[in-house]
Amino acid sequence: MLDQTLSDGPLVEMINIEKHFGGVCAVDDVSVDLYPGEVVGVLGHNGAGKSCLMRILSGAMMPNAGKIRVRGQEADIHSPSDARDYGIETIYQTLALADHLDAPANLFLGRELKTAFGNLDDKKMLSEAQEVLARLNPNFKNLGDPVSSLSGGQRQAIAIARALYFDARVLIMDEPTAALGPSETAMVADLTLKLRDEGIGIFLVSHDMNDVFDLCDRIMVMSRGVNVGMHPIRDVTKDDVLSLIIKGALPDDWEPRQR
Amino acid sequence: MIATGKGTSGKPRLQISAGTIHKMSALLTLLILILIFSFGNKAFLSVNNGLTVLLQTSVIGLMGIGMTLVIITGGIDLSVGSVLALSGTTTGLLVKAGVPVVPAMLCGVLVGAACGLFNGFVITKMRITPFVATLGMMLIARGTALQLTGAAPISRLGEAFGILGNGSFFRVVEMQANGFPKVVFPGIPYPVVLLAIVAVAAAYLLRRRAIGRHIYAVGSNEEAAHLAGVNVDRTKMVAYTMSGALAGLGGNVLMSRLVTAQPNEGVMYELDAIASAVIGGASLMGGVGTISGTMIGAFIIGVLRNGLNMAGVSAFIQQIVIGFVVILAVYVDQMRNRR
Ligand SMILES: Nc1ncnc2c1ncn2[C@@H]1O[C@H](COP(=O)(O)OP(=O)(O)O)[C@@H](O)[C@H]1O
Ligand SMILES: [Mg+2]
Repeated sequence: MLDQTLSDGPLVEMINIEKHFGGVCAVDDVSVDLYPGEVVGVLGHNGAGKSCLMRILSGAMMPNAGKIRVRGQEADIHSPSDARDYGIETIYQTLALADHLDAPANLFLGRELKTAFGNLDDKKMLSEAQEVLARLNPNFKNLGDPVSSLSGGQRQAIAIARALYFDARVLIMDEPTAALGPSETAMVADLTLKLRDEGIGIFLVSHDMNDVFDLCDRIMVMSRGVNVGMHPIRDVTKDDVLSLIIKGALPDDWEPRQR
Repeated sequence: MIATGKGTSGKPRLQISAGTIHKMSALLTLLILILIFSFGNKAFLSVNNGLTVLLQTSVIGLMGIGMTLVIITGGIDLSVGSVLALSGTTTGLLVKAGVPVVPAMLCGVLVGAACGLFNGFVITKMRITPFVATLGMMLIARGTALQLTGAAPISRLGEAFGILGNGSFFRVVEMQANGFPKVVFPGIPYPVVLLAIVAVAAAYLLRRRAIGRHIYAVGSNEEAAHLAGVNVDRTKMVAYTMSGALAGLGGNVLMSRLVTAQPNEGVMYELDAIASAVIGGASLMGGVGTISGTMIGAFIIGVLRNGLNMAGVSAFIQQIVIGFVVILAVYVDQMRNRR
């Protein structure tokens, strides 16, 4: 994993991405890149097109135009499993869990562990799930319950555990803490930094300005589908970012500040 | 893993899952029914009548298993009654044309599977709702069966054609002194054995194979299943194809039992199949259902029909009773979900 960190090229490049829904331009000619071991914050109002951009990278949505490169190679991403084959894992804003299934079944959904005869290896899936979930939430005990009966934090832990277990190279987190309490939010923040230090590239969609300034190395602001600014976090202040989000532009007197 | 009442530590916890409760109450209903009918009529609880019920239930059971798979994906298959007729008559026509019985029956079942595959194609690729797609197939299959046969039953299909529906294992017949044979034990009918095999195979598929897990996942949250990399379209196609194939198998069993291929057979059977699944705890919202539950449901309907028949209740009243049972079963299900 670290050899990627050493090479200088970007992990992911999204180039001139466009997505329309009828007359609505949800993503308008957006280009963005992501390097190994960095966290890029994606910000903007509701409806700015953040989720669409992220879903395009995770294979859940097809762009109308544009291309994606992964580690310098053009990537053909037509489905979520294609994206996973490139090491791109996603924690969706909606969490995307099958409510009637339990935690291990959700964690391994679509990538079930099997015995030599091709049967589901529920024992192995349970023990592996126990292990990875314990890292995220030591209190996670009721693994046999359908996930509909779990708390928001536990459901979030399953979504994160999916990304963790399958060795993501690129992690997309779409508002991962929106449904969480303070301690769970702190846990997700810790984890984000830990994964970054392991050399994983992370896109973090968030509305929480403190999180963004604590965790991100760069930020990108979207407004009505357009990328209105991509800056190293140390060049901007919270007010600058708010101005980008609200006005779609930096304050008139702006110059990069080395804080 | 599909959530069961077991705790993660391996030892069962006191808490029992809602699904288990539903199945228990369905089983209890079945036992109460049997009790009531045996009080009413001594002949009800005989070995012979027991086997008759098993035999009568086997066709509904086969269709109910396929229906369960479809219902768990969040769909419905209204075409099974017609597909049953088309499959049975296809086999009949082939046998009449000189094809040996076994390959003819295989062809009949394949025709059923093809109808199911077509349903799956229309639902996933043409994005037509399951209700409408299978309603269309209901008319297509019935019309084809009637057209192929000129709406007339095909009889004189030969002894071999009747074996699947009328044969049995362990039949014990004694020759009496007067020279007439006496049936000591009527044997376990082939259809019953077939139902048991199919039920076990389907339960294995649902619980132990990835496709079964995907069937539950698709019905539980289609979007989540898709995002997790499950091939949603393929999963649905498998479910509808199996439903069609099992309806075809049921058709062959039924027509073999009658030793006649009847293009008019199986009208409204889809409702019995749906009722079996729903009484057995399957949810029409998807994500919930078991083969064992559906088997209990099928037997509740079979016992009701048989018991009411023996009590001399008319077929019309039977419909009314089963209608109320379905509503009651769904009501009980909703109560448990609302808790
Ligand atoms: N599946 C869809 N069909 C039609 N319009 C959509 C769809 N998904 C998103 N949109 C529209 O695209 C725009 C961007 O949405 P989204 O990416 O979810 O915003 P954000 O995540 O930044 O809040 C919104 O105007 C939204 O209504
Ligand atoms: Mg969003």
